[in-house]
Amino acid sequence: MRDLKHLIYFENLLQEANNDLVKQAKADGKRAIGYTCYFMPEVLLDLPGCFSVRLRAPRCTSPDIATYYMSARVCHYARSLMERALEGGFNFLDAQMATETCTATCRFQEHLEQKHIDSVKDMRIIDNDDFFCSFSDVPFKNNQIAYEHFAEQLRVHVLDELNKHFGIDVSDEAIRQAVEQHNEVCRLINEIGDYRKLDNPTITGYEFHVIQLVSLVCPKYLILPYLRETAEELKTREPDLKKEFRCKVVLAGSENDDPDFTKLVESCGARVVCDRYCYGAVESRQPIELKEGEDPVFTIAKHYLVTSNCPRFMPQDEMRARKQRIAELAKEYHADGVIIASNKFCEYWSYERVIDTVILKRDFGLPVCSIEKEYINSASGQLRTRFQAFVESVEIKQIQEGK
Amino acid sequence: MDIKKALKDFWYGKPHTAEEGGRRLGDLHEDKTHLYKHREWRGFKDTMYYFYMIWLYNYIFMVKDVMVMGGLVNFAKGVWRYRWVGQTYLPVLHWFDRGLEGMRGEAMKASAWHYRAMVSTTIRQFQRMFAADTRLHGGKQNDLYKHTIAHNETVWGGVFYPWDGEIQNVPLEMIPYFVTCHVNSHTVLNYIDAVQSIGLPGDPCPMCQAESGIFVLDDVPDYAPAVVTCNEACDASVSTSTLQDWFFDKPLFSLPMPMIFDDPLVKKYCMREIEELWKFVEQQYGIPFSWEKLVKKLEQQNELQRFEWEKWEVAGKSDYYPINGVAQALYRIYQTQYGDWEIWHVTDKKVRKILEKCVSKKINSFPQTRHRVIAWSCAPLYYSNWCTWAYNCWGLNVIINMDSLMFDMTIRTDSYEHTLEDMAQYHMWAPMRRMAVGGMRHMFELWEYMEKFNCDMVAMYDQLQCKGVQGLHGLFEDEFRDRNIHAFWVPHALPDSRTVSRAEIRRLINDYMTTVMHEEPLDPSLLDFDDSMTW
Repeated sequence: MRDLKHLIYFENLLQEANNDLVKQAKADGKRAIGYTCYFMPEVLLDLPGCFSVRLRAPRCTSPDIATYYMSARVCHYARSLMERALEGGFNFLDAQMATETCTATCRFQEHLEQKHIDSVKDMRIIDNDDFFCSFSDVPFKNNQIAYEHFAEQLRVHVLDELNKHFGIDVSDEAIRQAVEQHNEVCRLINEIGDYRKLDNPTITGYEFHVIQLVSLVCPKYLILPYLRETAEELKTREPDLKKEFRCKVVLAGSENDDPDFTKLVESCGARVVCDRYCYGAVESRQPIELKEGEDPVFTIAKHYLVTSNCPRFMPQDEMRARKQRIAELAKEYHADGVIIASNKFCEYWSYERVIDTVILKRDFGLPVCSIEKEYINSASGQLRTRFQAFVESVEIKQIQEGK
Repeated sequence: MDIKKALKDFWYGKPHTAEEGGRRLGDLHEDKTHLYKHREWRGFKDTMYYFYMIWLYNYIFMVKDVMVMGGLVNFAKGVWRYRWVGQTYLPVLHWFDRGLEGMRGEAMKASAWHYRAMVSTTIRQFQRMFAADTRLHGGKQNDLYKHTIAHNETVWGGVFYPWDGEIQNVPLEMIPYFVTCHVNSHTVLNYIDAVQSIGLPGDPCPMCQAESGIFVLDDVPDYAPAVVTCNEACDASVSTSTLQDWFFDKPLFSLPMPMIFDDPLVKKYCMREIEELWKFVEQQYGIPFSWEKLVKKLEQQNELQRFEWEKWEVAGKSDYYPINGVAQALYRIYQTQYGDWEIWHVTDKKVRKILEKCVSKKINSFPQTRHRVIAWSCAPLYYSNWCTWAYNCWGLNVIINMDSLMFDMTIRTDSYEHTLEDMAQYHMWAPMRRMAVGGMRHMFELWEYMEKFNCDMVAMYDQLQCKGVQGLHGLFEDEFRDRNIHAFWVPHALPDSRTVSRAEIRRLINDYMTTVMHEEPLDPSLLDFDDSMTW
């Protein structure tokens, strides 16, 4: 296939958290608001006057100082973020909108927080006088009580704080404006992503991963023109005559902001057609429907709880529906199998991966490749062998089924 | 032979320290199994007391309790069917011996009463499980089954007070996993291996692994029609519920609790979820919520808390506290987590008498104390009696521990709103949540409690697979240095004795005491011994 015009530019934007577009937005006088988890509604951080940056620590392979603070037995992602923060890589942040949604990232964000208490020192990791960190509680359930609670949390710990510290307009009108912009990003990403549903997709999993990531880490108003142009370009992009892959897979699992991981999977003969993992588009690029007369904050709170497939949800129906959801995605994207990848030390996904590996195969007949990986993929040789074997097994299955 | 000394040793027991001739407790045991070569001579009075009032008394009650609380037939069936009870029932008195080694006088008596209460409550729970278990009764759902509710061990039993006498709550894992690994550390290893055999990596919290493994091996009685789960204490607990649901397949209510709970809005949310739980119980069992029962039980629980505060007062302000570190920790966590029960009141009454005697007669039960220690974070379950060893060997007296301090409150019963508010608070201050996995500021309440209990040293538990505590490791190091506090780390993996052995824990403490503190052991025979095969 012909190279996408902006792919290299996008790749470059992913090399640093404080990338060119972030710098440009800061120069425009906008406030940079960091977050780590899908449960922190990015749309509220993209209100006029500020922009969201989902934190990553690209190329962080040796988080030594963070390991002193958080030990070697905590998720590499959280430690890498901590290391990057200690290196000064997040000093551009004006605020961190924190969630306690997993222990490791919660602890990372607590280190950023200036607590002003006698019992523990403030580290002032983010060297920015304006910086503050605010925590919101995210419910573990999807019910009316949870929606109301979460909406209140967002009002008090996100909107009020943004208004108090930076004078951000948090009126319903401003929120609607942000939702509109958010929905355009979603529409474009979905349009781009839908090409993965074709029999011979005109976009690779790697390319999509890169595009999805830039939409998370760059100011929306600055990345939108590039997304529009890419969507336009894809309308006429021709696939290779001969398929470059031997099977299609859904990539599901824990935090994954490393496009090279997707590239590794694809280099083994699989095409990643769906990205159901943290930082993926399945959850985060569903448009938010605001109805007239409805409280936009409540609608947003509900949207983020309803659309999430995080293994953090505890109710029985949710636990069971998550498996169904992956099976449905495999069907929708015409995938031949599922790769479930969990980051080492991620407790949620360690268990979820075990159960998915059994259930998806047993109840839905889906071939599953179950792997554990690091945040930055250094064990590529071992993983390559696993993926190659999985692709072969899917092919054999197809031959046996006469496909 | 010095007849006078021999007679003195016979009557009072040998003195503690090496300088005084020493009792050399390390020589009492066989290598590896740590079985007694001969029992400890504590002096005439204490040896007789130990034999009759601890050893024999508890054996008798272990039979009597079984007979009264469910019968011998159910017990025999349970022992035959479930590995965890069969492997742990007989070593119970060895568990007493480990925790009470070297104790004399009032400390021995008061600590033993705590143990007795825990044994009784344990028997009551597993006998209820067996009596209601469909597996032991040909698949039949008997009346006991229909009036029992199962829940994660980390759900505070107090949320079921409104059905006192009508529905019995029995935690799913408290006996099969938690209690058993204190008594026999080998039992739980099998469950950890089982869950890893289906693909779970070795790094999630081993407590949760063990709790899941029991289900993988189908070693949980089927004793209740509904289940209540909880995300306490951590991410792995949430995930454990997912796995349990998969195996159990019963109506399930998940009771969430926040990690950072200093926000009044969060408390409001928690209150509403407790009410949802009550609705769930009413729906599942068809028995209405009783406010009167709730109030009655809460007031009884408050009585227990008030006595605990009195105990803390003595522990913090004097040398006359007669309860050793392990008895204090285990009894308190058992009592507060399980909730009000008659045996706690009976025990507290006996302990109060001993406590009052110690205070009025100025009896120092731990006369060889060199350092008053506070133990912080989660303790090693397979070596909860390390503090008994530490006192005997080094004079490190663990005055108080984190597990005891979490539920530092009574619950108001003057109005529904106040009660619910306090219950939410209590629920949110659950074990490990407040001071291990919870918000950072609570982890560092350590300094405050150190002062309150007049401690000069910290035993910092280092649960290697607890992401909540590991995530703050460096800050603790920094604070210890900045505050010039003597602290030694106790690495462990909760129930899994293979990760860090008991001998390794002792070695690390020995190293700290010799290289940092430059101290000599009180009893050198305890410095190094092999107990790798013991229960």
